[in-house]
Amino acid sequence: MLEVQDLRVAYGAVQALQGVTLGATAGRITAVLGANGAGKSSLLRAISGIAPVAGGRILLDGRDITALPAPARARLGLAHAMEGRRLFRQLSVEENLRLAWNFGSRNVPLDQAMAEVQQRFPILGERARTPAGLLSGGQQQMLILSCATIRGPRYLLLDEPSLGLAPIIVRQIYAFITDYTRHSRTTVVIAEQMATLALKVSDRAYVLRRGRLVLEGSSADLLAGGPEGTLVANYL
Amino acid sequence: MDDFFFSLVLAGISVGSVYALIALGLNLTFWTTRTLNFGQGSLMMLCAVLTVFLSSQGLAMMLAVIGSLLVVAALGMFVERFAIRPALAAGGGSMGWVVSTLGFGIVLQGVAAKYFGSQAMAFPEVLFTAQDYVTVFGQHVSLQYLVVLALSVSLILLLELFVRKTVWGQAVHAVSHDPELALVQGIPVRLIVLGSFIASSLLAGVAGILSAQIGGTVDPAFGFDLVLLGFVAGVLGGMGTSLGALAGGLAVGLISKLVGGYISTAAEHAIAFALLMAMLALRPQGLLGRPEVSKA
Repeated sequence: MLEVQDLRVAYGAVQALQGVTLGATAGRITAVLGANGAGKSSLLRAISGIAPVAGGRILLDGRDITALPAPARARLGLAHAMEGRRLFRQLSVEENLRLAWNFGSRNVPLDQAMAEVQQRFPILGERARTPAGLLSGGQQQMLILSCATIRGPRYLLLDEPSLGLAPIIVRQIYAFITDYTRHSRTTVVIAEQMATLALKVSDRAYVLRRGRLVLEGSSADLLAGGPEGTLVANYL
Repeated sequence: MDDFFFSLVLAGISVGSVYALIALGLNLTFWTTRTLNFGQGSLMMLCAVLTVFLSSQGLAMMLAVIGSLLVVAALGMFVERFAIRPALAAGGGSMGWVVSTLGFGIVLQGVAAKYFGSQAMAFPEVLFTAQDYVTVFGQHVSLQYLVVLALSVSLILLLELFVRKTVWGQAVHAVSHDPELALVQGIPVRLIVLGSFIASSLLAGVAGILSAQIGGTVDPAFGFDLVLLGFVAGVLGGMGTSLGALAGGLAVGLISKLVGGYISTAAEHAIAFALLMAMLALRPQGLLGRPEVSKA
């Protein structure tokens, strides 16, 4: 269970998040929707400890982590796949995976973790020695997801996993995410601009607009058009 | 082979390997924080001066060296905590660290001058005496040149191996390229930054002892020129690469000694800096620097 209570994020005078409260359940996908600049990334970044929190609390299974530095949160089993193809571009695929595995709590030995990654995404096995910067966009996203999941995290934050990818790759990526969530019992939070896609795989969804929560509900309801039938027209 | 030329080359390689060590020390903090400790020269000086002082108090030479290195390592931590971290926390690409590290160096130099006097003091013979030599290709080669070269090359190779082959070395790379990503992956970024400043100060200390050993004396102003030349070596070889630091250091050492021998000693440094400017114009990433790997 991941909970956020009245969370505020401010970059200097600019308020990115103005008091957001939400919860995400273990073994389920929770979607955070909103247009560009709505505060989705700020929310995820505050949870993983790299955005300045100006107020509110963040709880992992009831434990307040608001004051913990980012590496300590990672050690508690929190993983964050950031937006924008964040990889160590000059390191090889294998080295990226090893780094992602090495620091903090890990549930499986490296060999086994590597084998699982290569089974899921065989192309990453074939390109193990290639610098990550030279992979295609889809392969980079696969590597980012593999890095985020290689330690077997208990909480997984995914920021715009579909951004800039071809539809066929997006389908593959989302198939992995749903499958992984179901099997690992991980608490997953996905920030997405593509609302329909995220609503289809998630159980619950929150809609952000200009740093505030404007709508929340079960994904099925929102997919059917929202309580007032106005989700897309009003907020996205 | 011409004796004069040969001796210049040897002297060049020897001072060049010290420049390489200095460049390597600058590299380390540049990797982790994109900052340079301009107080590096004063740390070199202090390490050499303290070694002289401690051994004059009757401490065994080896203990004097180790004690001085410990002091310098502690000062490296001090620099990170009080000169670098606040400046970087200010954000917005603050250049405050240039002033704060330079200021640290100047204060250290002043303190050393106050307590140890500003006169040059003789540096004891730690590793070898100036009279020791071996014969290479029928030439007498002073042993100190070879020891300095061997020590520098092995330190550089060790560091290169560490960075390329160990996961902690790759974590240093990670902090250098994307500190935020390193943080969310659980890499202890703070610890690595602190470690880089300690290691960098230790390298400065070793370089200080070696160059005091080659020159035979040390004084509080010693170190300032050396750091500038180490900086030239680093930029020449490509800031951020260890082998580049070695190549750059040797190039600067050789060129300045050859210029000094055949043209004029007054031109030594001028030529080194002319070289730096030419390098920046022609190949900004340095001799062995790698441009960013990326697709599209």
